[in-house]
Amino acid sequence: MDSNKKYWKGLEELNRTPEFVEKNKNEFAEPIPIEEVLSGSGLSSKTPRRDFLKALGFGVGAVTLAACQKVPVHKSIPYLIKPEEVTPGVANYYTSSYEGQAILVKTREGRPIKVEGNPNDLFSKGGLSAQAQASVLDLYDVNRLQGPRIKGVEAGWEETDAYIKKELAAVAASGKGIRLVTSTVYSPSTLAVIAEFTAKYPTTKHINYDTVSYTGIIQANQNSFGKAVLPHYNFDKADVIVSFGADFLGTWISGEEFTRQYVSNRNSKSLANKKMSRHIQFETGMSMTGTNADARITTKPSEIGVALINLYNAIAGTTLPGSKATGSKKVDTAIMLAAKELVAAKGKALVVSGSNDVATQVLVNAINSLLGSYGTTIDLDNPSKQYAGNDAAFVEFVNEVKRGDVGAVLFLNANPAYDYYKADEFKAALKNVRLSVSFADHADETALLATVNAPNHHYLESWGDANAVEGYYTVIQPAINPVYNTRQAEHSLLAWMENPIKDYYTYVRKTWDSGLLAKGGLSGQKGWEALLQAGMVVATPAAAGAYSFSLDLAGVTQKILTQSKAVAADGDKFELQLYVSQAIGDGKRGNNPWLQELPDPVSKVTWDNFAAMSISDMKKLKLEEGDVIKIDANGYSVELPVLAQPGQTQGTLSVAVGYGRTNAGPVGNNVGKNAFPFFSLSNGTFQTAAVATFKSAGYKSPLAQTQTHHSYEGRSVIREATFVEYKKNPAAGSGNEHGRKDYNAESLWDNHDRPVYDWVMAIDLNACTGCGACVVACSAENNIPVVGKDEVSRRREMHWIRIDRYYSYNDHGNSEEAVTKEKEIDKLDNFDNVSVVHQPMLCQHCDHAPCETVCPVLATVHSSEGLNHMAYNRCVGTRYCANNCPFKVRRFNWFNYWNDARFDNYLQGEHTQLVLNPDVVTRFRGVMEKCSMCIQRIQAGKLKAKIEKRPLKDGEIKMACQQTCSANAIVFGNRNDPNSEVSKALASERTYYVLEELNVQPGIGYQTKVRNIIETEAQA
Amino acid sequence: MASHSESIIREPLITGKDITYGQITNDVLRPVENMPGKAWWIGFSVASLGASLWVFAISWTFWFGLGEWGLNKTVGWAWDITGFVWWVGIGHAGTLISAVLLLFRQNWRNSINRSAEAMTIFAVICAATYIAAHMGRPWMAVYSLPLPNQYGSLWVNWNSPLIWDVFAISTYFSVSLVFWYTGLLPDIATIRDRAQGLRRRIYSVLSFGWTGSVKTWQRFETVSLILAGVSTPLVLSVHTIVSMDFATSLEPGWHTTIFPPYFVAGAIFSGFAMVQTLLLIARKVLGLENYITMFHIESMNKIIMLTGSIVGVAYLTELFIAFYSQNEYEQYAFANRIAGPYWWAYWSMMTCNVITPQLFWFKKIRTNIPLSWVLSIVVNIGMWFERFVIIVTSLHRDFIPSSWAMFYPTWVDVSVFIGSIGVFFTMFLLFIRVLPSVAMAEVKLLLKSSSEQAKKKLMDEGHVEPAEAEFYIASLEKFDSVNQSEYLKA
Repeated sequence: MDSNKKYWKGLEELNRTPEFVEKNKNEFAEPIPIEEVLSGSGLSSKTPRRDFLKALGFGVGAVTLAACQKVPVHKSIPYLIKPEEVTPGVANYYTSSYEGQAILVKTREGRPIKVEGNPNDLFSKGGLSAQAQASVLDLYDVNRLQGPRIKGVEAGWEETDAYIKKELAAVAASGKGIRLVTSTVYSPSTLAVIAEFTAKYPTTKHINYDTVSYTGIIQANQNSFGKAVLPHYNFDKADVIVSFGADFLGTWISGEEFTRQYVSNRNSKSLANKKMSRHIQFETGMSMTGTNADARITTKPSEIGVALINLYNAIAGTTLPGSKATGSKKVDTAIMLAAKELVAAKGKALVVSGSNDVATQVLVNAINSLLGSYGTTIDLDNPSKQYAGNDAAFVEFVNEVKRGDVGAVLFLNANPAYDYYKADEFKAALKNVRLSVSFADHADETALLATVNAPNHHYLESWGDANAVEGYYTVIQPAINPVYNTRQAEHSLLAWMENPIKDYYTYVRKTWDSGLLAKGGLSGQKGWEALLQAGMVVATPAAAGAYSFSLDLAGVTQKILTQSKAVAADGDKFELQLYVSQAIGDGKRGNNPWLQELPDPVSKVTWDNFAAMSISDMKKLKLEEGDVIKIDANGYSVELPVLAQPGQTQGTLSVAVGYGRTNAGPVGNNVGKNAFPFFSLSNGTFQTAAVATFKSAGYKSPLAQTQTHHSYEGRSVIREATFVEYKKNPAAGSGNEHGRKDYNAESLWDNHDRPVYDWVMAIDLNACTGCGACVVACSAENNIPVVGKDEVSRRREMHWIRIDRYYSYNDHGNSEEAVTKEKEIDKLDNFDNVSVVHQPMLCQHCDHAPCETVCPVLATVHSSEGLNHMAYNRCVGTRYCANNCPFKVRRFNWFNYWNDARFDNYLQGEHTQLVLNPDVVTRFRGVMEKCSMCIQRIQAGKLKAKIEKRPLKDGEIKMACQQTCSANAIVFGNRNDPNSEVSKALASERTYYVLEELNVQPGIGYQTKVRNIIETEAQA
Repeated sequence: MASHSESIIREPLITGKDITYGQITNDVLRPVENMPGKAWWIGFSVASLGASLWVFAISWTFWFGLGEWGLNKTVGWAWDITGFVWWVGIGHAGTLISAVLLLFRQNWRNSINRSAEAMTIFAVICAATYIAAHMGRPWMAVYSLPLPNQYGSLWVNWNSPLIWDVFAISTYFSVSLVFWYTGLLPDIATIRDRAQGLRRRIYSVLSFGWTGSVKTWQRFETVSLILAGVSTPLVLSVHTIVSMDFATSLEPGWHTTIFPPYFVAGAIFSGFAMVQTLLLIARKVLGLENYITMFHIESMNKIIMLTGSIVGVAYLTELFIAFYSQNEYEQYAFANRIAGPYWWAYWSMMTCNVITPQLFWFKKIRTNIPLSWVLSIVVNIGMWFERFVIIVTSLHRDFIPSSWAMFYPTWVDVSVFIGSIGVFFTMFLLFIRVLPSVAMAEVKLLLKSSSEQAKKKLMDEGHVEPAEAEFYIASLEKFDSVNQSEYLKA
């Protein structure tokens, strides 16, 4: 129904007055003075003062407010279309390989955040070294080269390729040599690329150059058995191990693998079968391996060769010409005992030597042959390919360069300008080379001199493969798109030789399709996919044959004696021993802050190298720890602080190589001093001992140690027994010889409810070698900041897990009672007979936690799963909890390490966030933190089980520290489940709890250290 | 009370001739009603420089983080909590003097209670600054209060001695403040009555409308007694609870049942020493010799000697118990104090707290003003070392030898401590400019009974046994504010 109602706006409209009618004609009832404003006085009129001030006030205010908020720039692109395999918040694991060892790369939302061992890995069955753990950090290193450079100027890859091809053609035309200098290449695909490159440029020669070389062993095997290989050792098959300066648990050939093997004869399982290997170590400085030895005999570098000759004599029952006593009665006696032990264990014995001298290694071969080690403890038929370097070949290369015979040289993973013993000579010679190319990912010492930098991918960005041991093939697959404009070295080589295969992935596929896959019974696309899933192919190993040694040893003996004489110091001189640092290795990872801050397993020094000296010598020379001395040897000198090292052979100095980088990057530059120039060349191999003189430099340079008190003061913190005692009573030394005391019986506290899970840990002190891989694994997993040398020396390192290392002394004539108290140690004058124990120490997750009761704000509380939680957001930072923690495992954020430019070791780099574990929050300044028992892993494990509607399986959740431990010293699990591994481990008679008499009810049980000492050694 | 005559053999609490109520008011209010002198300006300049240093060092700490102090993973408390306990301890004398001595009718407290209470309040303020400053995240300090919050049942941890501390210190501070201010009311009214203009308006507000009527005085007395009753347990409780920060922990050297009485005695010891330090100077500079007499000085020295001896016994008991316990950690903690790397701190403590106060057995020494002052400083130093020894030497070497570490202070540690002394003196110097440093009303109570002139009058009027008079005159010899010649004639 239409309405005819009419609405009017006013009486004027109703009445339709003439004024209204007139006005209603226009759009606006009253005229708007636009014309007036735009022409006349409108524009020129003065703004009243008040209006001006109003406008100004508003303007300034508005601009200020607008400027307050910095608008964040988000460059991330959310997943508009979710990739099938990526679920935000769920980690993906990819198989890959690190230095020939099968690994799993954990990625989150497309970025690798952690490297973990592949449980099927041939070497360590899931364990990983500290270096491998730390390698993920290098991926995000902002100091990597970000693209190719020609003569220091940034260039594109096309330009670089064109330049190099032109230069290579010119060099090839001139007939001069092309040299490819690499650290040992054991990748089948890379070797194939090099072969093709050599075919294209026939003057090419490939030189394997290992910074730390095993040429001595390889050539000795060539001499003795006609096989120029590095044998594959089986420490697990050895009941008696005698090592002459070989740090086989640490830096010698394949430490992680040997650790697994070695510990399998000494861990709880082995002890339960009343079986334990015996390990005798003759060495100069205290190595990590030496700290684990049952008997350790301090031996000068010059005595080692003679001692080996005597060992041979004792075993063979002959006397080699030139044999003599070593000059150390102790060494001579110990050699006789070692010989007896070895002979008794024939077929299950192993002698190894860390020497790089061919003659010495030949003699070692002879001894092992007498002991029947070949085919049992030593495998020459499935040799290791980890090191193939030939020292003489590299020296010859330097000579060629000097002569000007080389037109082009390519450096892959080799940095001779830093680590060659005559680096200056090399650097000068390099100027003669027309084209030098470095594939280094950093502008390192060699890359700086090279005409072209063609930066290689990080291995986590690469395709590739490895064949580190005969028959063991692992694959490398990228876990992220390249972070920078880098290109894989093999790809570059393919491009420069104009290979029809343009990309390296196809090349790797080809290598595998044409043979490697078949070794594992795989083939085709399916086989390749199976490989990527498994990460490796293991061919059936060849049977290890027995080899017998049949050469005349007279010449060898003579060489050894001459060599020994050359390094024997007389008078005031000292014998200098160079060794490889456990944390830093040969120095290639110098820019890795996790490794720089990892305490050395023996000295607990971070961020430095030093001259280790025996305490007796220091007392004699009136030197104090931290005093700087100037060491002179082989025409080179450095100034290094002195470290008082118990167990250091008197009259010797030990210095680690791998330090003193000048172009490692801001983290590693000028950390420590370079000791490589102390190397010498003798009989075609690099030698690591020299005669040195030194004098005080007159100043101090305090070392940043994470532990400064080195004895356990006779406290029951450490409990140990000898193997003989253990066999009589497995509880020997644990304090529970006559049954376990229940300290909780008189407790005033109520027990916590733990209805489902009770997470606890068992740590076997007899398995832990002290390597420190767990420390780095924990740092990577839990986003633990690196604080730098100054802060470490202020005792403020942040590690959630640490390895406490204690020395105890066995005085002469009183070998029963070890001397552990500071006051008594001060009175000793013999610091050679030292026993060492390593104790991983982390939050004990006490059931009656002293930290929990004292926190005023309930920031640290107990969970219903037996864990001690830390709520960072609640913490006000009174530090009372840390004071009241008997284990001193709590760590306080003294500074805002993530945002304070003074601590920029890596934390504030452009890409730092990418390496962080998103499941673990970073902690702000002023809050306490500590081991959370990887609660994010527990949570993830529980969730996974819940989603899959099944109970959690024992062993499904692994702590980061446990996972990386090649020795399996750490077991984690649920104590409520009597069948769990951890319950079984804790049920061992060897179990004790640190400070259990305080009845804080720690959740971590330790198993006693058992030493298989030679009972008669007391008289030695 | 005032109308009764006091026994002649008691020493006078007010000396001087022709002291009248008006004279007392004039003497006490001289610094309040006049421009400050040179000595005050010098003192104030130095003190405010110190306070500025404090502001700078604290700001530095807040800006960069607690890492600017010398603390480490092993030694989580050092100069901060040492300073805190030191200041709380110093604060103890005020309450003891004002409350306990009031209940025991020790009239000599009347001359010194005002300054002692002011000192208490300023010392507790200094202590409180340490509580905030030592926190990693002081801006979250509110978490330590049991306030309703949005987190459901998230409350403070009543098991934690630090929470007890929060309550102990805040209760102590508020009760002390109320007690002090209540006592000030009649004196502020006196200032108000003598002042003009703005000053009068200010003091008028501050005096809460004090009328001076009999009823007002009666209520005043009642409130004072009630507050004294409330404060008395606090004298014991505050330092008992502070000691529990240590005693309830596991730390060898802290985990000791002797701590509560030992800390309370130590607190009174250091508190009296600080009162002595302040008043020996104040009486001279402000010309209050007639009201703060040798009797007061000697009495305080006796208390210092007594509490010092108690502390000494406590030290020895600790050593014996450590030996007797056969607990290796406890034994080591004490062996380490005596002969470890911080031996010098232990022996400084022993010398300053146990040995030197014994000099007060000699009357010559305890009535010697310069020596008393020096020894009061020595006691203050000794008590600082006591807390340092307890905190740092226990922490730096406890159970696990691998974590043993040394503590070295940084310039920030030192500056915060020196600065806190500056803050304290700044507040104290301002106090003596604006408020009467002696409780006038309470001193006036004593004028008719316990003053020298009242007793002289008694003697002159022959109401006194000659032997007693002789004894009395002999006791006056030590007084520096008594004109000895007057008595020689008699």
